[in-house]
Amino acid sequence: MNIIKGSARILGDEVSTDIHCSSKYLPGKDTAHIATVAFDNVSPGFAKNFVKGDVIVAGANFGINSSREQAVHVMHRMGVSAIVAPSFGRQFYRNAINNGMPVIECDIAGVAAGDAVELDLAGGRIRVPAKNIERAVPPLPAAVQALLEAGGLIPFLQKHPDWNLGGAAA
Amino acid sequence: MGHTIAEKILGKHAGGKPARAGEIVIADVDFAMIHDARAGNALKMIEKLGAKSLPYVKRTALVLDHYSPPPNMEAANTHVEMRAFADRHGSPIYDVGDGICHQVLPEGGHLTCGDLVVGTDTHSTTYGAFNAFGTGVEGTDVSAVMMTGKLWFRVPETIHIELKGALQPGVWAKDVTLAMLGRLGAEGANYQALEYAGSGVEAMAIDDRMTLSNHAAELGAKAAILEADEKTLAWLKAHGAATPNPVQADADAVYAQRIVIDTAALAPQVARQHHIDDIAAVPDVAGQKIQVALIGTCTNGRLDDIRQAAAILKGRKLAKGVRMIVTPASRAIYLAAMREGLFEILTAAGASVEAAGCGTCVNITGHYIAGDDQVVISSANRNFKGRLGNPKSEIWIGSAATVAASALTGVITDARTVAGGDWRAAA
Repeated sequence: MNIIKGSARILGDEVSTDIHCSSKYLPGKDTAHIATVAFDNVSPGFAKNFVKGDVIVAGANFGINSSREQAVHVMHRMGVSAIVAPSFGRQFYRNAINNGMPVIECDIAGVAAGDAVELDLAGGRIRVPAKNIERAVPPLPAAVQALLEAGGLIPFLQKHPDWNLGGAAA
Repeated sequence: MGHTIAEKILGKHAGGKPARAGEIVIADVDFAMIHDARAGNALKMIEKLGAKSLPYVKRTALVLDHYSPPPNMEAANTHVEMRAFADRHGSPIYDVGDGICHQVLPEGGHLTCGDLVVGTDTHSTTYGAFNAFGTGVEGTDVSAVMMTGKLWFRVPETIHIELKGALQPGVWAKDVTLAMLGRLGAEGANYQALEYAGSGVEAMAIDDRMTLSNHAAELGAKAAILEADEKTLAWLKAHGAATPNPVQADADAVYAQRIVIDTAALAPQVARQHHIDDIAAVPDVAGQKIQVALIGTCTNGRLDDIRQAAAILKGRKLAKGVRMIVTPASRAIYLAAMREGLFEILTAAGASVEAAGCGTCVNITGHYIAGDDQVVISSANRNFKGRLGNPKSEIWIGSAATVAASALTGVITDARTVAGGDWRAAA
């Protein structure tokens, strides 16, 4: 998998994607609309100023509690290239991988808004050159990399209905 | 080094050998469930994929429980699509009023000891009460199961929780899970499995054990599994489940953490408004006024919950100004409660009874909205601000016994202090 490079966009701890990145509390609003207002209540102007390819750098338990797949669809529409956080809500983490969104568990100390971030998912490395940060992270398991490369679980199964992960973790 | 129950069940379904925590496995899923709050998108996606055949669709139940009964056209139309899908593909379906997914799956004999079961709902941990690995997933996952019968899982680390001693009369599994939430915090077991064991578990009836596994979802647990005993096997047999394959942890299994709770000494607990891990012992908050009392949900809408409420309210009236609604978790429970005369007792006391469904838990049907500044005492599982439709109301969470005792007095009340509060089903 290629190295992902993007500009850091910062969110805090315990951000619920159900509340801040879905139409659960905005009934009738579609994914396109949510993509223009997502996370506004925790970081005003977040979606409006988001540039395709930016990396979300979030605090602990990103996507905590109940989480809908729509949150990941919204983030794809915003152009999020990856999410880095010290920890994720369980259901959000699974939804992200199933919908082709790279998620990396990593210490985010020292990373600031606008920093260029480089993520090497296969090699297990995160770099922030401007801050001289280089941190090793556990490489994503081969199975997860295969799902992400295919663009998510359903595209993967369309290509590999037998779950053949190419000799990976089957 | 030995293995936990989670490692054994996932490993067995992924080729045979026990797996290790941290591994990713592709495992055969025994049964899956999708409910009406998630089915709309998933069924559309499946049709769009044009899957010629869905070989595993008959192992996937469709459950119409969240919008039961449907409060708007969209929900009613989702139900129409779900019925048509079930007709076309032959999947089991549970219609409006049949009950909540986590109740109807075990009652329908769809799972047994040692099974791997997924559902589109965080409280799918409930199936752990039957020594199955049950976990919550999303619509995409269930679509994958219908297509391939398999799913990927990260094998979780496990926390071992020993419950020492039978609970006192008037104290219930809900009080144990609330105490755990006070100890670990919401999401305190994120990604992890729980194994509950010990004499406290052995003494519990199946209804209470289901609460124990169910409410683990608030701890962030991926699964909450109990060992099977004679009660488990008898219950499964009575409900027509397949031959059980009980799974036990090895004596030298590796746990992330071991916790011991003195359940024999535990007092009733409540979660205060807005935060499920803001826990107090009931005697410490006794006297807090309440205006609405709710018994129901997948956490505490079972027959024993309704029985204890009736034991407390028999021949009495709700406190002035209190309204109370009882919503059984399934049609089977509804029928049993009716036959036992429990609804007559509760209705005479001033409570009303609703058809089985999820409405008590979250403002979906619009039947349970509280007024400004009203305090709700509920047997549900969550109490986020505004969950019952009004952010200016408060939701406190407790056992069905605490709810019924509080409805009787109008203030939060320890069930051990009222007549009938010591009710417990004969073992």
